[in-house]
Amino acid sequence: MLITSIGQGLLWAPLVIGVFLTFRILNIPDLTTEGSFPLGAALTISAMLNGQSAIVASLLGFLGGCAAGWVTGILDTKLKMPSLLAGILTMTGLYSVNMHVMGKANIPLLDQKVLTNYLPAGWSLDVQTIVIGAGITAAVVLALVWLFQTRLGLSLMATGNNAAMSAANGIYTDRMVIIGYMLSNGLIALSGALIAQSNGYADIGMGIGTIVIGLASVLVGEIFLHGRTMWVRLSGMVVGAVIYRYLLTLAMGLGFPVNDLKILSAAILVVVICLPLLQNKYRTKRQLSRYLKQIGVDQNGNYRRSKRTTTTEGLLSGDQQRTSRAQKRELND
Amino acid sequence: MIGNNGAGKSTLLNTIAGTLSPDAGELTVAGHRVTNRSVAYRSRWIARVFQDPKMGTAGELSVAQNLTLAEKHTGSLSLRRYRRAGQTARYQELLASLNMGLEHRLNTQVKYLSGGQRQALSLLMATLSHPQLLLLDEHTAALDPQTSRQVMALTQRIVTRQHLTTMMITHKISDALTYGNRLVMVQDGQIKLDVRGAAKDRLEAADLMGLFGE
Repeated sequence: MLITSIGQGLLWAPLVIGVFLTFRILNIPDLTTEGSFPLGAALTISAMLNGQSAIVASLLGFLGGCAAGWVTGILDTKLKMPSLLAGILTMTGLYSVNMHVMGKANIPLLDQKVLTNYLPAGWSLDVQTIVIGAGITAAVVLALVWLFQTRLGLSLMATGNNAAMSAANGIYTDRMVIIGYMLSNGLIALSGALIAQSNGYADIGMGIGTIVIGLASVLVGEIFLHGRTMWVRLSGMVVGAVIYRYLLTLAMGLGFPVNDLKILSAAILVVVICLPLLQNKYRTKRQLSRYLKQIGVDQNGNYRRSKRTTTTEGLLSGDQQRTSRAQKRELND
Repeated sequence: MIGNNGAGKSTLLNTIAGTLSPDAGELTVAGHRVTNRSVAYRSRWIARVFQDPKMGTAGELSVAQNLTLAEKHTGSLSLRRYRRAGQTARYQELLASLNMGLEHRLNTQVKYLSGGQRQALSLLMATLSHPQLLLLDEHTAALDPQTSRQVMALTQRIVTRQHLTTMMITHKISDALTYGNRLVMVQDGQIKLDVRGAAKDRLEAADLMGLFGE
């Protein structure tokens, strides 16, 4: 189960990294994901069915995603649409594009050679998937680590962090946003291409919920591996993708039907988002208990008498009663 | 430049910087017509320090990365590495001139700096590429009095050393009288007072307060 999750997680990792680029680096919630993921799958499977090799077909998928990102980028920056709306519009339009590319809602591969078939046939499918996934993900991570050491990468980070300051320092922020969208959706489509080859088909509905998968994996990754360097952050995304797949596999192992996969994805995202809140609440509660103990008030807000005090509560002086009530009020506040 | 709230000071400054487009007229900086050009394009000649220290820097990036952005040596589309040989020593030297202890914090994320340190860094960044025009938008308004004085002294030092043409908006009458060789008062979008040189030196705070009251 773990081996399968690692393999699948690595195939999903480019999508997670793509979502990370828009969500964390550019600070944009991009819903194009739900359209560019199946676009990558559709282009790849169609190209393979038309005689292209799996490598060329996957690259076509990547380029298709870049084109989808470019459209969203133009809508966002040049037509001044809110990024959320720009993503929704592209995603909606891509449904028709994907239908045109595939010709029908589902196209299966026949006996075409997928990427894993380039590896020795003696290896198990899980090992083949891990090797292909790890190879492509490592290439993506290396390329991005290099990119973020360049002036372009620095400008991308600056644009996402403070667009006004970036423009004032000569960065054409619109270009940066468009490049970010293109890179992100290219990677998301590449992930679609890999998953389609793994599944053996492209389906018009395979993009539904991918943004949730991407966001949840980003957040899971940040919980497990957080740091400032791009190495650590991108590695965190890969770890997040694998852990998220493992969590889903575990949940499915509990006997949930396949139809519940999407709601499970959403539930995991909710839990991941709420986790820091719950942690804070728990920490606050512990701090409050410690404070109550120190000032001699029990959990119900009743003033506890000191062992050395012989006075009963009913005989508290007016000042003491006022203090006790003030303490209770303070605690309630 | 001084004036009441809503007088049009910031509108003028934003129009020069490029964040607002003028309804009419032309804007020329150092012989270049920039009327309808972007903020990024204008940044070749115009630099700006914002009122809010957070606006002038990228908080998630390190001090060194912010300085690199301000250097503008290469285009933002360049695929050359942004770290260069000798960069650290040069940045440390520059930061040491601020006297704010930033020379040892090159790799610190800017969001962890104090408001004064952040504004001093903004000022350094704005003047790093020797602009033709420096715009200061009430750049000490968000600072405490002591830091405000420190940043103003630093501003004066940099502007004098680099011979920068500078336009500063301020609400502090004392700063308006102390700094600069020309004073413009704006009211209802019109210039109400424009004095320079010896005439400005003769101005008293009471004169300006009187004009404000009119």
